[in-house]
Amino acid sequence: MADGVEAREIVKTFGVGTEHEVTALNNVSLTIRSNEFFTLLGPSGCGKTTMLRLIAGFEMPTRGDILLFGEHMEDLPPNQRAVNTVFQHYALFPHMSVAENVAFGLRRLRKPKDETDRTVGHMLELVKLGDLAHRRPAQLSGGQQQRVALARALAPGPKVLLLDEPLSALDLKLRQAMRLELKQIQRETGITFIFVTHDQEEALSMSDRIAVMSNGEVQQVGTPHDIYEYPVNRFVAEFIGDANFIPATVAGFETDMLVCSTVAGRTLRVRGSGDHNTGDLVTLFLRPEKVLLHRQGETSSGRLAGEVVDVVYYGSETSYRIRLDDGTVILAEDRNMLDGSRRFAGGEQLFVEIGAETLRVLGQ
Amino acid sequence: MKRRHLEVGRYHGLGTWTVLCFAFLYLPIGILIIYSFNASSLAMTWTGFSLDWYAKVLRNDSIQFAAVNSLVIATITTLFATAIATAAALALVRGGRFTGHTASLGLVTLPLVVPEIVTAVAVLIFFANLNLNLGIGNVIIAHTTFCIPFAFMPIRARLVGMDTSLEQAARDLYSSEWQTFRHITAPLLMPGILSGAMLSFVISLDDFIITLMVAPAGATTLPVYIYSMIRQGITPEVNAISSVFFAASVLLVSIYWLLSRRVMSVPKGTGTSNASGGSRT
Repeated sequence: MADGVEAREIVKTFGVGTEHEVTALNNVSLTIRSNEFFTLLGPSGCGKTTMLRLIAGFEMPTRGDILLFGEHMEDLPPNQRAVNTVFQHYALFPHMSVAENVAFGLRRLRKPKDETDRTVGHMLELVKLGDLAHRRPAQLSGGQQQRVALARALAPGPKVLLLDEPLSALDLKLRQAMRLELKQIQRETGITFIFVTHDQEEALSMSDRIAVMSNGEVQQVGTPHDIYEYPVNRFVAEFIGDANFIPATVAGFETDMLVCSTVAGRTLRVRGSGDHNTGDLVTLFLRPEKVLLHRQGETSSGRLAGEVVDVVYYGSETSYRIRLDDGTVILAEDRNMLDGSRRFAGGEQLFVEIGAETLRVLGQ
Repeated sequence: MKRRHLEVGRYHGLGTWTVLCFAFLYLPIGILIIYSFNASSLAMTWTGFSLDWYAKVLRNDSIQFAAVNSLVIATITTLFATAIATAAALALVRGGRFTGHTASLGLVTLPLVVPEIVTAVAVLIFFANLNLNLGIGNVIIAHTTFCIPFAFMPIRARLVGMDTSLEQAARDLYSSEWQTFRHITAPLLMPGILSGAMLSFVISLDDFIITLMVAPAGATTLPVYIYSMIRQGITPEVNAISSVFFAASVLLVSIYWLLSRRVMSVPKGTGTSNASGGSRT
């Protein structure tokens, strides 16, 4: 598959030579495939928006190179890049109608009038706004404005569509609906989408691949499944969903198992050995929903005794904070079943099962 | 008790006070207008309604000459001052950082605080030294210098309030810099430009001190002419011409106001004419 966008060793420093010098991107390399829904995920200030602005051409990299379908972008201004952007606050032109907004890019490209009209009609249909073509942006709701912004950016038929937190200004229900719609439009149009967000749920639910960023560096690139199940470090594990971290030392090896002993003196087995030596300090990582809760058990069978400290009810699931009898506090999450057989109350004694295949050893 | 927000209408006596303030502002103008319809030639004795003084003004060639001068000067001054102010605002707000940015901003707006008589004397000496005598042109140059900051303030305020992402979006959608200016920046800036133009038109129209100093023979403007009439005694003719002048100003401002309401809403923040600094009369 051809590479859509390639960023090579990008460094972006703002305010060079002043006392406010800030390095927004520190040696970032990314390869985004053609037709891919690619997400840049990270907390605010991690450099994800800067990356997007570099691809769009609003900023020039301090060092490094950006290629669009094999073509060097060098100092090309935004209007000479086959890339369009959906802005965070939409940036719709207030003095133009919806149709004029959508036609704007096509007119600058000097497309014939009948072709422009056809494309505008098609785009407005795609985002289900056909009957609002003559309204001004100020007369539209937030969700409708967002669709206009999308139609306007898609109309010129860019090779790459950049989306800068486009859903952040919408309310929850609309956001969820737009996720599905965006994904569908991406599939239908076959355009490469580069989506910037700080919302891990958004990233997981829409992306083909995700790049998790922090402090101007890419921490991990992978499919949503990879990122969630096999985070490479503590930052990624913590940023995507809830996680338990258990400090431990490597005590020995069994067939394809790593035997670790926790600081509290308990022995935990981890599937998959990895590259470790006896005596290494490691961090074990465990997603809360992988912790199994039982009313009965024997500690000898690998179940750990504990007490429920806190219960938070979320409707479809319940989250528990559990203090194990060695003092370690872990987070567990359980689906709420119809019969309520696995519901625990604060203060209740229970047994916790941590399977060898659910634990991972985190890189430092 | 429930805490209430400040509501001006709840303060006793405020209405009376407001009426008094407005009376202080407008009563003299009101009386001036009423007496412009007085049949008597004595300024302060009412003898009956008449339009004679207006007819007299219309027949007075000197007044018409001065009025035409005023309009020509104000129109050309407005064109120059608004164009220069727009360029200055674009450079200072959208031009990024450059050496002398703060100094430029200060220098553009400085004429607002320089006493008018100082500007007047300075311009007069300047023209005399250059031996520049362009007749009405001298007045236009002088007016342009002090009208620039008045045009500049509302244009700059509008530009500061305008979201730069709109211009970025235009660039992103294949606009060159010029196309971005033509299709996005200029139309969105238009209310600011109109404010600036109207301010400089009105300021130029009623300027007295500088015009008195600078205007050569044949370039007399209406305010200067009215002043010379008063020196020969106050006649109802002065009332009539002042009333016409007043009506013209009100008409102009009203037209502007109606226009600016039609030219769409402000995209972000406000940028209308409330940034005009001190008054100049």
